[in-house]
Amino acid sequence: MDEGALMKRLLVVASCAALLLGVALPAGAQEIVVTVEDLLDSPEEYSVSRVPEIVVHGELIGDFGQRPDGVVWAQLNGDAYAMAPLLAGGELAGPNLGIGVRIPADLWPELADLAEAGGYRLRGPLVRLTGAWRYHDPARGGESYLDVTGIEVYGEPALLEDRAGWLPFALGVFLLCAAAALALATRRREQEH
Amino acid sequence: MLIRPSGEDLRIIGFYLGRIFYVVAAFTGLPLLWALGGREWAPASSFVLTIGAFALIAAAATARPPREKALDWSHGMVVVALTWLVVPAVGSLPLALSGHLANPLDAYFDAMSGLTTTGLSLVQDLDHLAPSLNFWRHLLHFLGGQGIIIAALSLFAGGAGLTLYYGEAREERILPSVTSTARFIWGVSLVHLIFGVAALGAIAHYVLGFSPIRSLFHGLMIFFAGFDTGGFAPQSTSVGYYHSAVFEAGAAVLMVAGAMSFGLHFALWRGPRRADTLRNLETRTIISTFSFCLIVVFIGLATLGLYDGVLGLTRKGLFHVLSAHTGTGFSTVPSSELAAWGGLSFVGIALAMALGGMASSTAGGVKSLRVGLTLKFLKDQIKEVLLPENAVVSQAYHQSGRKRLTPKVSQAVMLVSLLYVAMFLIGGAVGMAYGYPLQDALFESVSAGANVGLSVGITDPGMPALLEVTYLLEMWLGRLEFVAVFSLVGFLLSWMRGR
Repeated sequence: MDEGALMKRLLVVASCAALLLGVALPAGAQEIVVTVEDLLDSPEEYSVSRVPEIVVHGELIGDFGQRPDGVVWAQLNGDAYAMAPLLAGGELAGPNLGIGVRIPADLWPELADLAEAGGYRLRGPLVRLTGAWRYHDPARGGESYLDVTGIEVYGEPALLEDRAGWLPFALGVFLLCAAAALALATRRREQEH
Repeated sequence: MLIRPSGEDLRIIGFYLGRIFYVVAAFTGLPLLWALGGREWAPASSFVLTIGAFALIAAAATARPPREKALDWSHGMVVVALTWLVVPAVGSLPLALSGHLANPLDAYFDAMSGLTTTGLSLVQDLDHLAPSLNFWRHLLHFLGGQGIIIAALSLFAGGAGLTLYYGEAREERILPSVTSTARFIWGVSLVHLIFGVAALGAIAHYVLGFSPIRSLFHGLMIFFAGFDTGGFAPQSTSVGYYHSAVFEAGAAVLMVAGAMSFGLHFALWRGPRRADTLRNLETRTIISTFSFCLIVVFIGLATLGLYDGVLGLTRKGLFHVLSAHTGTGFSTVPSSELAAWGGLSFVGIALAMALGGMASSTAGGVKSLRVGLTLKFLKDQIKEVLLPENAVVSQAYHQSGRKRLTPKVSQAVMLVSLLYVAMFLIGGAVGMAYGYPLQDALFESVSAGANVGLSVGITDPGMPALLEVTYLLEMWLGRLEFVAVFSLVGFLLSWMRGR
């Protein structure tokens, strides 16, 4: 075989190898984006023993539990209320869908500035979390949670407005006045008897 | 022949109902203060409306006080049954106005679940619910668990208290008078409240790292739900939210305290009778049934292979059996995962829920004393068959002293136990009629009827209305242990058909 033919063959082999690597490498590094609902419905499927890393979006809700061991525990909700809170005119969309997340404190230093995660009148920070889904972690007594390795905040916490309901208030005051009048009338009648 | 109730009967019932509603109106002032303090204006206005509604009903009911007759047994039972129907109806107003429930029936379901210390919930987006509304839901647990009637009896009573006290499914008078018993029960509860909230709040702050105010909030909510064996939680993931074995242990202590009868609390407070309580049939029964259910669940979970380590299996199994047997309904796993607990683990949890806690406690279910007496009765029957004809089988048992299991007591115990079983089966059949699998339908029915609150996901805002009403009735019947409800039905029949 002459040198040109050998080179041509080597080039073909190298191209095939590059193509194979090109297909295989991104597959390994490809982000597996799942929803909180997926994790609740098929928790075992995304377990760290099967999928090393997943990406989940949602709203951080409740409390930031800053533990002595340098991690912060919070709840990540992946339901419709994250994008359309009820106080902002959002529709009812069923119960919340939430998972526990464990975030190393040094991964998100700005966390210390946030007093609370989402709750009443507060839409919590919207985050894109990367991490390992530890399903029934034996090291933590069978708990399931996302062990966070990367965090990206794509929505700052937002204050929501609570409007006073004047009609129930006025009706309530009216009922109280009516009750007081009735009770007084009863008492007067009893005293007369 | 049925005798139609007289106007005087109605006035007596109205008078006592009215006095109870005044007490509930006063309690509703607490979440109003919370809402005002937290500048939660919308919930505050709904609490003003609720107080107004309670006060007006109370004023109207007491407008014609009775002149002659005293409150008798049937009046007391009707008062209790109506109280437990009307209080959740009015008490559901803040929930209905919150926008977190799809319709008034869902709000009524949640209020009934709160008051009966069941813990099943239809609240949507719970994680954004106003703290004052969360406080109201948990306060309903406290009112229901300690007994609204008990609350009212602590403040007013006289000779009328006894029938109301028994009507609320309480069987033992701890102190000579009902009023002093009621005050003792509230005293025990307030002491537990102080220590319970302090302990849970300290864990939340120092172990979980929550802010001081949020620690206090979580401590208070979990105390109400744990000690009153209710099962509501301030976050959608229940006790699983805390990711802490220490916090779970704190909640477990409260659940156990809640499932203990107030008679046992009294005995433990008064040192000399402590050893005696361990000899009680009820204490021995609950220890035996709890151990049995725990072993069954452990075997079931090990067979399913859901948890890799012994620690995980033990922690999840123990917490859920405790939660089920005490009738609390806290969970540390999602309902979808609980639904996967098939086979023996399902049997163990369902059995624990059905058996329930001690009589005269805040727990629901058949109750350990009835279970113990039923088993004793069956054992005696077998002995009588096996022993020679002239042999005498002892029918004595120990429960705060030596007592005799008479045929009348046996019949009453067996009847109520059978009624519970029938209720669980009917609820399960309704669930199955809507296409839910047998296991899930039975689990949810037992959970509602035994006032537990663990769910495999059937209790959902999208559930059929008839099934919702079925669970609602189960919660009401289970909490009042049938007698007061049957009295109300009898009273209504007499009113309609009597002469």
